[in-house]
Amino acid sequence: MSENTTASTSPGVPVEDPTPFGWLTTADHKRTGRLFIVSSLLFLVLGAVFDFLVRLDLTSATDFVSLGVDSFAQGFAFSREALTLLFLIPVFLGLSMYIVPLQIGASNLAFPRAATASFWTWQISAIVLIGAYLGNGGPYGGWANGVDLHLLALSGLVVALLLGAISVATTIMTMRSPGLYMDETPPFTWSSLVSASMLIVSLPVLLGQIAILYIDHRYGRVFLLGNYGIWERIDWIHRTPQLFIYIVPVLGVAAEVVLAAARRRVFEPLAMYFTIGLVGLFGFGAWTNFAITGEGADIIDGVEGVVLVALYGGALLGTVGLLGLLGLAVIQNRKLPKLSTSLISAFGAGTLVLLGAFVGLLGAAGDWLEIAGRGNDGNPQLRMTTWVTGQQSVLIYGAGLLGLLAALHWWAPKIWGRQLNELLGLLNFLVIGAGALLAFIGPTVSGLVTEQPDFVYADPSATAIYADWVDDSGAEGLSAIGAAGVAILLAGVALLLLNLFVSVGLKKGVQATDDPWGAQSPEWMLSSPPPMGEPDELPTLTSGTPLLDSAEAEEVPV
Amino acid sequence: MSDTTPTLASGQAQRPRAQLVATGFACAATSMMMAGALGLYMARRHASGPHPGHDWLDGLAVPNPQFDYALLTLVASMVTAHWALWASRRRDTAHAWTAIATTLVLGLGFINMVMYSLNRMGLEIGAGEYQNLAFATTGLALAVVVVGLLYLGLMGLRSLGGSVGQQGSTAFGAAVFFWDFAALVWAVTWYTVYVVK
Repeated sequence: MSENTTASTSPGVPVEDPTPFGWLTTADHKRTGRLFIVSSLLFLVLGAVFDFLVRLDLTSATDFVSLGVDSFAQGFAFSREALTLLFLIPVFLGLSMYIVPLQIGASNLAFPRAATASFWTWQISAIVLIGAYLGNGGPYGGWANGVDLHLLALSGLVVALLLGAISVATTIMTMRSPGLYMDETPPFTWSSLVSASMLIVSLPVLLGQIAILYIDHRYGRVFLLGNYGIWERIDWIHRTPQLFIYIVPVLGVAAEVVLAAARRRVFEPLAMYFTIGLVGLFGFGAWTNFAITGEGADIIDGVEGVVLVALYGGALLGTVGLLGLLGLAVIQNRKLPKLSTSLISAFGAGTLVLLGAFVGLLGAAGDWLEIAGRGNDGNPQLRMTTWVTGQQSVLIYGAGLLGLLAALHWWAPKIWGRQLNELLGLLNFLVIGAGALLAFIGPTVSGLVTEQPDFVYADPSATAIYADWVDDSGAEGLSAIGAAGVAILLAGVALLLLNLFVSVGLKKGVQATDDPWGAQSPEWMLSSPPPMGEPDELPTLTSGTPLLDSAEAEEVPV
Repeated sequence: MSDTTPTLASGQAQRPRAQLVATGFACAATSMMMAGALGLYMARRHASGPHPGHDWLDGLAVPNPQFDYALLTLVASMVTAHWALWASRRRDTAHAWTAIATTLVLGLGFINMVMYSLNRMGLEIGAGEYQNLAFATTGLALAVVVVGLLYLGLMGLRSLGGSVGQQGSTAFGAAVFFWDFAALVWAVTWYTVYVVK
């Protein structure tokens, strides 16, 4: 990795150890951020492989071809946990840890060692989680101690992510450069604050539930009745509307890239902050989700449908509003911005967030209004079918991965000092986009047409019955489309890793200047990459677009 | 770095309120954790039978006086914690040390009293649904109190050990704030699990 090893010599500022051991004990937000980003990408591969195996099983359901009846449920659960807790949340948290202090003129994160602790806690918990599954633990596992271990690992992951989120949110709240007010912060910083705050008030709900599940599973199994009750109580963190919280930073990335390409400020900054906030706010739906507790479902019965419609509607409104504001900025420029991987990926990611919210709204409205008998006469509600898997695919694989592609191409100069290969990047966009769309279309259509259940919350015998049902329903073909989508997506991830390896690892990428994109936000005033450790000098910021301010000042005739 | 950009001196100081803000976020997270646990508790209670809060106790008697005394002890410790904060802001080391020590002793006394109450109640883990739920929710609330106690002790030592100043008082103030919050967490848990049952 390209790295300027000029350590700070300022008194009171920790000097970074440039040896590999320094990565263990680092107090540098840039190292912690990189650790999160690279590790999350590797876990993404693992999660997507298991998602592929699960979908592959459903293409020939009579005789599960990959995981088998016994392991299918565990593979299903693991893929969901890996894609959210091991990839989507940490990768954008890591990006925030790296970029946010640079964007607000801070020397470091508010609690850099807490951020490092959060990474290692997350990493160790992830390994324990995988170990629990390998030992036949996890939800539906046959090894009781492994089931408990899985719950402990899950709580470790949540605590680690919370620690990181608190560190990021506190940094934004308290360490902005004097003069940089909250309504002047760059959109990515704002989206990071929204996402981190929403994580702080939503993920702990899971922690409280895990405590009860652990006690009950380990001692007596009084109401869980074995380990089959675990998944249905923790599944809400992998579903919409909760997923919107995880992809809020994608909107920040999109805003950064589009506004820089348009060389314009957003028409109304407060409206932009409001729309991004709206998506995060309406993503906070943990307490309304039917899967929080099977027991609680009847308590909120009756209002649940309208609440879900409101949540999806709010998220959709926020996304439409943001994309509209960005579109206005492009139109104001009166010429088409130069196309790049980051720009088209940002556009694709924003569009897919919109699609995810729209599909969510359609499903919630269909269930609420009981369109086509949904929820009656044995017809399952759409949110009980693979319609949900489709939403997960479009948000995690589509918006999440394309947003990450945009972010990595955009900030690679600042993170590694090299630009990623554009040609590979454009190819990458096409592959990931195509894969995400197929992974979305297969299960969504299957949920609508064949009413394929999202999953059977029961024991392995129910999984076998499920397999027979898939055979009879004609869902196999649609599952095959989804599986093909994930396979293509895996190829896209491989391309991204290859690009990183060649451009950054082998240093074949173009050596980046301080501001290779003609961008607006403060991080581009620093060297690429910024020196390791805390900087000797920090910019004094009074605006989130200092470079645009300077350019405009030079254009004004004296 | 851009030539047009004015710069600050190195080692930009962390704003003193960072710890207070982070503590606020931690309190928000803890609130949601307890809401998740108590929400599940209440949902199970709702489903426990025709007489929620009675059927599932299965003969268990809650020792109310002991739990009341425990709560009073915690309230007293809040008063002494604020006494410590007041003293530390006035740089009155003797008062501050006395108040912190008293707070820690009262905190430990509270934990001891709760453990005694649970023993007296005969709450046996794994014996029934109420027992498991009460054990988990009480355990979480006690964990919050223990974290609060450690935080208070650590910040007390840090702020008084070398420097009793505005910066130290803010950090200690954050710990006192968390201690108040921990007391609130216990009060809500106690009311839900041992009063409403």
